[in-house]
Amino acid sequence: MHEARMDWKSRIRELFTASAADVDEDVMEELSEHAAAAYERMLSDGSEATEAARHVAELVRSWAREAPNLRRRSNRPPAVEAPPVVPRRFAGFLNDVRYALRMLNRQRAFAVLSISTMSIGIGICTSLFSVVYGVFWKPLPWPEPDRIIRLTEIRQGATRPHPLQIDNAAYLAWQDDPTTIEKIGGFWTNTATVSGVGDASRIGIGHVTSSIFSIVRAKPLMGSLFTADEEDASGKVLLSYGFWHERFGGRSDALGRSIQIDGNAFTVIGVMPREFVFPDTSVRVWIPYHIRPVIAPDGRGTNSQIFNAIARLRPGVTPEQAASEATVRARSAPDGGLATLAFWGAEPKARIDISAAPALDALTSDLRPALIAVTAAVILLFLAVVGNVANLQLAHTVSRQREIAIRSSIGAGVQRIAQQLLIESVVLGLAGGVTGLFIAVGLHRALPSSLPSDFPRIDDVAFNLRVAVFCGVLTLVTGLLLGTLPALQVRRLNLVESLTEDQNGSIGGRKDGLPRARFAIMIGQIAIACILLVGALLLSRSLLVLMHADRGYDPANLATAIVSMPVASFSAQREIDILNRIVERVGAIPSVTHVAYTDGLPLSSNETLSAFKMPSNRPPVGAPMQVHSVRHVVSEDYFQTFGMRVLKGRAFSSADTASSQHVVVVNRAFATQYLSDSVIGDRIINFAGDFAQGEFQVVGVIDDVVEHQISEGIQPEIYSLQTQSIFRSQNPGIVIRTNGDSRAIVDSLRSIVKEQDPSLALYSVMTMEERLSSSLSKPRFYAVLLSTFAFSALLITGVGLFGVLSYTVSQRKREFALRSALGATPAELVRLVLTNALTIALCGLAAGTFVSFVLVKYLDTLLYGIKAHDWVSFAAVDIIIIIMSVLSCMGPAIRTLRIDPIRSLGGH
Amino acid sequence: MAHIASLLRELKRGSTEVLILSLLEERPRHGYEIGRLIDERSGGEINFHIASLYPTLYRLEENGFIEGRWVEKAGQRRKRYYRLTSAGKKTLAQQRTAWDTFFVALNRIAHIKHA
Repeated sequence: MHEARMDWKSRIRELFTASAADVDEDVMEELSEHAAAAYERMLSDGSEATEAARHVAELVRSWAREAPNLRRRSNRPPAVEAPPVVPRRFAGFLNDVRYALRMLNRQRAFAVLSISTMSIGIGICTSLFSVVYGVFWKPLPWPEPDRIIRLTEIRQGATRPHPLQIDNAAYLAWQDDPTTIEKIGGFWTNTATVSGVGDASRIGIGHVTSSIFSIVRAKPLMGSLFTADEEDASGKVLLSYGFWHERFGGRSDALGRSIQIDGNAFTVIGVMPREFVFPDTSVRVWIPYHIRPVIAPDGRGTNSQIFNAIARLRPGVTPEQAASEATVRARSAPDGGLATLAFWGAEPKARIDISAAPALDALTSDLRPALIAVTAAVILLFLAVVGNVANLQLAHTVSRQREIAIRSSIGAGVQRIAQQLLIESVVLGLAGGVTGLFIAVGLHRALPSSLPSDFPRIDDVAFNLRVAVFCGVLTLVTGLLLGTLPALQVRRLNLVESLTEDQNGSIGGRKDGLPRARFAIMIGQIAIACILLVGALLLSRSLLVLMHADRGYDPANLATAIVSMPVASFSAQREIDILNRIVERVGAIPSVTHVAYTDGLPLSSNETLSAFKMPSNRPPVGAPMQVHSVRHVVSEDYFQTFGMRVLKGRAFSSADTASSQHVVVVNRAFATQYLSDSVIGDRIINFAGDFAQGEFQVVGVIDDVVEHQISEGIQPEIYSLQTQSIFRSQNPGIVIRTNGDSRAIVDSLRSIVKEQDPSLALYSVMTMEERLSSSLSKPRFYAVLLSTFAFSALLITGVGLFGVLSYTVSQRKREFALRSALGATPAELVRLVLTNALTIALCGLAAGTFVSFVLVKYLDTLLYGIKAHDWVSFAAVDIIIIIMSVLSCMGPAIRTLRIDPIRSLGGH
Repeated sequence: MAHIASLLRELKRGSTEVLILSLLEERPRHGYEIGRLIDERSGGEINFHIASLYPTLYRLEENGFIEGRWVEKAGQRRKRYYRLTSAGKKTLAQQRTAWDTFFVALNRIAHIKHA
């Protein structure tokens, strides 16, 4: 049978060739099968062999005559496509693109893995670019913003720095006839309750000098701006465009209307244009801010103010030149006296320096170290992603060696094939880029809720054309870069080897069957994972230290809230009466163990700085000494409610009344700095001016309390009782300790507050733990971000290592089979794979550890309670990488045990 | 009789597709089997020239009405089997309807009966 088929096929081929017919091999085979079947049928019907052969030969001749009609077009694309006959440049490019798409459609697993890996890297990079551009590069929304500078006053020996702020002495000294600047302006912002038009709500208020508007070259949309003369007279307000539309419906009759800000009436004199922003988008209305002269007009007493300041440079002047002039002028300004001590914790005569920096730099300077770290992390992650895809590309190219060799053997030049591979890579990159763009859009939507609330210029982080172009350029560059390796690989292709090699690899070929390029890429990926893990571990451990740091009180089961009590609406006595009633009513709730109030909660921006002179309690006793501290006025149970530790003496008690001995409690820092060794019984006099006159006796010392960020250090503090000093705060804080979840009493608190006065508003209602957590939003954000990158890099590296080891095993199949046949045990085979894995891992670890050691010093400013060169973190990372490597090689190691020596060595 | 032979040739040419499609409707078959069955079931009346069978098969395959694939069974030669696609089924139904309509019309005029 076999001979008949072969014979007919030869006959058919001869006849078709003789008639110059071009018939597919497929058709020839089908016809020869038909011929053989017809021949056998005739034989089985009883025909003679010669007769049957003659009949079938006639049949074959008739086919040859009809050869042009014997064509079948296949639905499948050819395995190897012929190069274009007329190599028109653009037509060839389109063909290559079409071919690339078909190849990717056939190799879906490779395409999906490459595209998804690349899209993660491109998406994250694009998202980071939108943040970097919006925060650091996008110009501030004022004309010639690079000519606007922010000023910082630095006092020698200051224990309480005020970045980006100066005092009224330095400001006024520079205001008249400056030579390096056109104008200087002062401002500060807060939140206040706005009412009188629509529902009462808290909004951002900008307190600005009139010169601010000329510095930022702003003109009102309608109405007018403040003049310098109007700064001292309150009662005028400018509205933002958004606020005007929201509350006044965009109507022109808003001018002249009145609104209430914290109970004070203001008349609308103007509306700013839509694009006007100062200093940021949180501010919705502006009211005049008056900078008072240091020496009061009547010559008695001094005025001291601290605020933010900007100035516009004259043409050709540098910020350094302006700073020099400002410094000279500030040093000749009147002395602020004890106020200087209060504000800066520095001696009144301390040396002054004014620094000036471009406004954008000043705004973002404290973010720079973190952003540099995050940018480096993103770049490293991107390199890990690219490395992974490059490894996939190289493996993919190896698997196509035979196809490439065939194409080369039938006439495709190396350059042509390399171009094809490059185009395939670019097409792959484009697909990854488009998907990455969607990922970037998704990340952008999640940004506002993920970034810390005090992150500057969040509103300027936008997904726009510039970001999309960046994504496009990155995609193209990535695609070209990734295509370079396979293109280079093609140049080293050995045609004979590629056409004769089988799937089982060679014996005794390359030492480990792994191209150097893939080996190097794998080491690089492990090094990157190591670096990211070190950074993530350090930041995470630092965050843990911050979270569990002793702040001097117990934040558990502690509910807090701030009550808005504007001076214009609540007198001092009424404020105290209301707060006392609230304390009494809340204290009656069964789950409440302690309740108190204060003029300023920890971690809020409300605090009172104090500086005074008093007779010394330490030798020489009675000598005048200058004291600066933070002053608190609190209710009786304040220390018990907060769980603050009393180190000496006692806390306040019900025995401390308005008519009893006036007492204070101090913190350890105050006691150490200013009081005698015994402390208890020491006397402090006139420490709060009119608010706390006379002599106060120290009855207790509490342990230091962290009022703000831990990194800011401890200030000396004095606590006085509200019955013995004047309590005056527009935003007093209420604190409640419960014996269960403190959130359960929030509703009761709100109704109790409303019962006292319907106009009272509670805000910033949260547990102390939530308040603490919110204060750690930045370190938490960086720790979470870097941990995400590190985990992603670890996963990508693990998958990549798995792929590389699997490839190695497949390439060394014959070697493993031979070893097994010669008596190697399964453990020995597994050890070979493990050695491969650990060699790569250790090389990567060595490189990664070295680079980490050099780079971690840049994380110093972001760490707390932990050194950058922390050996525990480094050791933990080493262990994680080793475990990842062992896990990655388990699959390939198991494959070696399943190699059948007979099948693998068959044919040799 | 020459004109009858010419008439028969024309009729065979027009009916090739419906014959092949209907045989494949039963089950997949290879080319030789299709030719043989047409010959056997027609009682020898319809005897395709093999030169027209394979071009027709290839044309039907190109149009997507049938699909061919090589099948290799143990101990047998490799054969190319053809099967009817869903588009082919629709076309077969349409052709049957067309032939039926044709014969009804033919009968009305020329009194030619069919089963």
